Amino acid sequence: MEAASITETASAGPPARKLSDVINAYALPMLLVLALVAQFVHSPHDTLDDVKTGLSNGTIWALIALGYTLVYGIVELINFAHGEVFMIGSFVSVSLWATFGVDEGTSMPLMIGSIVVVLALAMLASGTLNVLIERVAYRPLRNAPKLAPLITAIGMSFILQNVGLLWRPTPDSAPDLIGSQKNYFTVFNVGIEHSDVFAVVVTVPLLIALLWFVGSTRYGKAMRATAQDPDAARLMGIDVDRTIQLTFLLGGLMAGAAGLIYALYNGTIRFNQGFTAGLIAFTAAVMGGIGNLKGAVIGGLIIGVIQAISDSGDYLGLPLGPQWTPAVVFGVLILVMVFRPQGLFGEETREG
Amino acid sequence: MSEMGETTTNLDGNTVDHSGPPVLDATGVSKVFGGLVAVNDVNFVVPRKSIVSLIGPNGAGKTTFFNCLTGLYRPTTGRVIFEGKDITAKRADIVTAAGVARTFQNIKLFKTMTATENVQVGMHPRLRSRVTGMVLRTPFVRREEKQAKERARELLDFVGLKRKDELAMNLPYGDQRRLEIARALASEPKLLLLDEPTAGMNAAESEELRRLMDRLRTEQDMSILLIEHDMKVVMNVSDHITVLDHGEKIAEGSPQEVRANPKVIEAYLGSQA
Amino acid sequence: MLATARTRFDSVTATLPPPAWMIGGLILAILFPYIAGTGSLLDASIQTLAYVIMALGLNIVVGFAGLLDLGYVAFYAIGAFVIGWFGSQQFPDINGGKGIHILSSDRATFQLKLNGTHAEIPGIHINFFIVIFIAMAITAVWGILLGAPTLRLRGDYLAIVTLAFGEIVPRIFENSTSGLFGIGTTDFSNGRQGITPVDTINLPWSKDLVYTDLNLKPAYWVALAMVVFTIFVNRRLRDSRLGRAWIAVREDEVAAASMGVNLVRTKLWAYAIGAAFGGFAGAFLGSYNNTVNVDQFEFGFSVFVLSMIIIGGMGNIWGVIVGAVALSMLNRYGLPELNQLPIGFDPTSVSYGVFGFFLLIMMVLRPEGLLPSGRRKLELHEGETEGEDAAAVGDMSQMYEVRQ
Repeated sequence: MEAASITETASAGPPARKLSDVINAYALPMLLVLALVAQFVHSPHDTLDDVKTGLSNGTIWALIALGYTLVYGIVELINFAHGEVFMIGSFVSVSLWATFGVDEGTSMPLMIGSIVVVLALAMLASGTLNVLIERVAYRPLRNAPKLAPLITAIGMSFILQNVGLLWRPTPDSAPDLIGSQKNYFTVFNVGIEHSDVFAVVVTVPLLIALLWFVGSTRYGKAMRATAQDPDAARLMGIDVDRTIQLTFLLGGLMAGAAGLIYALYNGTIRFNQGFTAGLIAFTAAVMGGIGNLKGAVIGGLIIGVIQAISDSGDYLGLPLGPQWTPAVVFGVLILVMVFRPQGLFGEETREG
Repeated sequence: MSEMGETTTNLDGNTVDHSGPPVLDATGVSKVFGGLVAVNDVNFVVPRKSIVSLIGPNGAGKTTFFNCLTGLYRPTTGRVIFEGKDITAKRADIVTAAGVARTFQNIKLFKTMTATENVQVGMHPRLRSRVTGMVLRTPFVRREEKQAKERARELLDFVGLKRKDELAMNLPYGDQRRLEIARALASEPKLLLLDEPTAGMNAAESEELRRLMDRLRTEQDMSILLIEHDMKVVMNVSDHITVLDHGEKIAEGSPQEVRANPKVIEAYLGSQA
Repeated sequence: MLATARTRFDSVTATLPPPAWMIGGLILAILFPYIAGTGSLLDASIQTLAYVIMALGLNIVVGFAGLLDLGYVAFYAIGAFVIGWFGSQQFPDINGGKGIHILSSDRATFQLKLNGTHAEIPGIHINFFIVIFIAMAITAVWGILLGAPTLRLRGDYLAIVTLAFGEIVPRIFENSTSGLFGIGTTDFSNGRQGITPVDTINLPWSKDLVYTDLNLKPAYWVALAMVVFTIFVNRRLRDSRLGRAWIAVREDEVAAASMGVNLVRTKLWAYAIGAAFGGFAGAFLGSYNNTVNVDQFEFGFSVFVLSMIIIGGMGNIWGVIVGAVALSMLNRYGLPELNQLPIGFDPTSVSYGVFGFFLLIMMVLRPEGLLPSGRRKLELHEGETEGEDAAAVGDMSQMYEVRQ
């Protein structure tokens, strides 16, 4: 046995990054950029308009996606009922405004005040709901095979959709409090409307708050520790159950905010809006890298743009349109999950 | 360090002839996980009809090496030639179909299947039934299934497992180990890899297993590659021993030579310190 | 009596009743229409039989092979559209407007014109008993196509991807009113209105319809025959080399591969055969319901079929049948809001929420279902006493790079 080869190999360190690894890492973002640039070349003005719509719409997906990613990061489960948590947020918002008697005619300061208050209440409602779901559908099944909590979550999703159905059997309209169609200003010949500004104005502070909370507070540290290794976290004195509940609460808060924005942005709410929204937002979370907060946000924006371009009915000549958009988004979901399950920013998960 | 001789003596005192091309010839096998070098440039030969042992302290890379041979890991470097065929980095089921079977350190039986069914799964690569035949239950399929069941029960007899229709998970530990071996034998392998087969066995059971291994290689032209911690078993049954430490081969030779090798002693004692 | 029945079914080796029971059961099943009378019970029973076939099909994928599939509705859709294409006037321009007729009934072949002459009905009209096998074949192919990308996925990820497929397929049908993806101009689905009417069943050697709305009994017998065929194939496969391979793959992929089981082929077979039965029953329902409409194909249906398996006991053929019958009848009769639409699972009815509640309770209290295969019960309750061991073994398989 030659000793020389042993020392040689040992000191060479890990094998150098192969070309295929590099390509793999950049393939997805490059593909996305290419797809966008191609469309831009095809129809510049429409693309800009779609990008604007996509980005502001994407804030909604980003908020919901954060809920998925937070929960998945800590318990490695897809919270199937999360879409319904979002829907309840919308419903609660509209009902509260109706109760307070707020509509388009209300004076500006009162309107703004009501939006802030309703936002807080809707977020709270959704947050609490999410914690309840954890308690009822996930906690009892911690040690069961993965099929069980998935089924209970689906069950909860159905129950909540039914609640929504009983609450509002037909689609309802939300008051147009923000004058959503009116333009504030124009950039590159693309109109920035009230609703776009509103979406960004609400989302950005929430994101900053969330990132600060998870990154800098001791609760956030507990969350990250539990996400990494629940047993070690427990040994270090972290109350894992409480931490999980907190995570669900945060996810629900974000979904509630998304629900409010959606109600004002979209104008109409319906009991099954959560199902499609949930899948779209989940795609965003996966695209960004499930478990990664920054990824969820960027994923949301990307999916928003994809959706907007698909809705516009013309992608490089392909006659898409709103009837094709769900299929397009789900197609993206499948492609990402099959070819790059860790998304843009995630690491190789156990399932990936 | 020395290579194995052309003939050795088996437990019954008879001569076993190992001449001919080796059953397994692994050269330069390494496995690197990220920054960790688990197996480092190992060369390994298993001659015909031989019992070869792979020993070393915990974490030396023995099971990892096994996994590289059987297709569960893709070796970072190296080549594995089995019976003249290159099986390097081939999928596990292809390797098994070629004639390499194995048991697992942590017993991976199909828990909710009976002992007989477990063994029947082991026969999978040797059965020829096709789906249409299975649905129609053609005479060929009927015959094959009948023979498979009989053979499964024979194998269970061979390893000494009586509760043939018991669910695998309800079997006592010793029986589970035996079942793993029966299941591995079901694919009629030319090379049998046993990963710590005597773990948890008492002295009588280990002795039984030693005799079984000896019978397999003498009567059935099989070679056996053994990972073992029980030195009594290793020293008694092996024709040849290779010692791994920190992923590298530090010694190899006959039981007598290895036993006396200072590097080996240090590796074991050092790891206990 | 329930107690003794339960202990008998709980016993591990008795996953099937003895032959005497089966023959007795079959006779009862054949005679059932005479007891059921006319009207909604018989109609409900016929629908139920179709669902039994689907449940058995999905049982192969989820129960035997352990592949969590939340998109089974896609195969129902494909089967239904196949009969929509080959048993209706959906393609009026074929054969210069005269249509293609293969062993079709008189009703599907000729129409009486005002001047007293008979003209051939346009469209493709192939005999039902041929179409159901065409549907099986086409669906099996799609089972493989949709299953192949999922082979590397596990657990939740697998579920979501299959769900996504289950959503995409009906939408593609829905949007194919003018060619496929904008290619060509043929209308494949008639959009939201759906394809209707769909040819009624006729025996290949007869020109008459097998049943009418007033006499549904023969429709029941056709469905029953299809169910018997399905059970027959299922049992043969379960007790075969492939069936063992499926269970091995479900239990422990690493060990299965190490025993020589080709994971890819084994899983694809599960998808193919499981999907085929979805198309088989789907074609029947397409004809029986006389309409094929994208509204019939929603995610809720996939969950509906999955619940039948879970509630009945995954992996156990008879348990799944019981589950299918129970849920189907419950959906039809057990709720104050009567589900009037014969078009299967109506997502806007209250039954949605009640189902959800059902699922919740079931998973928390008795995840193995009512009549589980002995295996399943052991698998699911193992986690309670040996949580760590089970988890450790599970982790071990992630240690290996099991390559597909």
